[in-house]
Amino acid sequence: MSRALLRSVLELRTPVTRLPPSFLLPMRSTPARFFNQTTQIIEPAQTADADAIHATLTAARQQLAKQQQQQQQQQPQSTPKKPRLPTEPSLPTPTGPVSESVRTLLPILAAQPGHYITIHIHGQPYLVTEGDSVRLPFKMPGVEPGDVLRLDCAAAIGSRDFTLQGAPYVDGRLFECRAIVTGTEAEPMRVLIKKKRRCRRKTHIRSKHKYTIMRISELKIRSDVSDL
Amino acid sequence: MSWFRITLHRSAIGLPERTRGVLAALGLRRRSQTVFHPVSQDFAGMIMKVKELVRVQEVDAPKTDAEVKAERQFAPGFWVEKRGKEVMARRGEEDGI
Repeated sequence: MSRALLRSVLELRTPVTRLPPSFLLPMRSTPARFFNQTTQIIEPAQTADADAIHATLTAARQQLAKQQQQQQQQQPQSTPKKPRLPTEPSLPTPTGPVSESVRTLLPILAAQPGHYITIHIHGQPYLVTEGDSVRLPFKMPGVEPGDVLRLDCAAAIGSRDFTLQGAPYVDGRLFECRAIVTGTEAEPMRVLIKKKRRCRRKTHIRSKHKYTIMRISELKIRSDVSDL
Repeated sequence: MSWFRITLHRSAIGLPERTRGVLAALGLRRRSQTVFHPVSQDFAGMIMKVKELVRVQEVDAPKTDAEVKAERQFAPGFWVEKRGKEVMARRGEEDGI
């Protein structure tokens, strides 16, 4: 059978080889179709079995859709996912009056040029001034470049001559400190080679940490504390 | 009503079965675990049996495990005032894009 097929193919091919070169042949819009290229035959599946399977499948799908709808109706308000980023001040706003020394000395501190602030993020201190770029030792989850963060835990605010020390934190009403997230940075790939004695096998442990970069965009110290 | 706040400070490894049983009855399984029990003679007696291992405080109300954990954690120290996307969208509207 196969031999007969092969022979017929060879017989049919011979005239093709005797054709003039392709540039002499008349232009054809459809590409040349060779004998070994056949269109795919898709048989219409209209047997009784196939029909039955199709019917059962559609019924099952409809049932599933109904069940899902019912579940959605039963639980219309699933508990909203808690945002990973804090959107409210992390410390309770102090309400009492500020001490007398702060009342008298804070205007002098505010009048001096150039201030520094020791902010605490997750308990870690960062001594910064306005315009500084800070590379946090972690990737802050959920923040994107351009986000404005309000920093409200300050252990100390100071200038060249004065320092306002918090116990443990400075009153949040006395200052405003903001930072803009500028992006994420990655360290070069670290490769740690682990090897055991008397064994040629080596394991390469790779790690590449990412860090959030932010710029201290604003540091304002209140000069007037008469209303506190 | 006041409560005992009991924290297991020292491990019970190597101690008699009876002492470990008392800790189990108090619900203490590992070091620095904190449990709350109402102030009563029963619990006072149990605390007396293991007084060398635990630290006890008297408090007004019990706390959940999550609240006890929150005591040990630092404040984040920041909060998000504006999202960068929103700022950019507002600028786009102003420019008429």
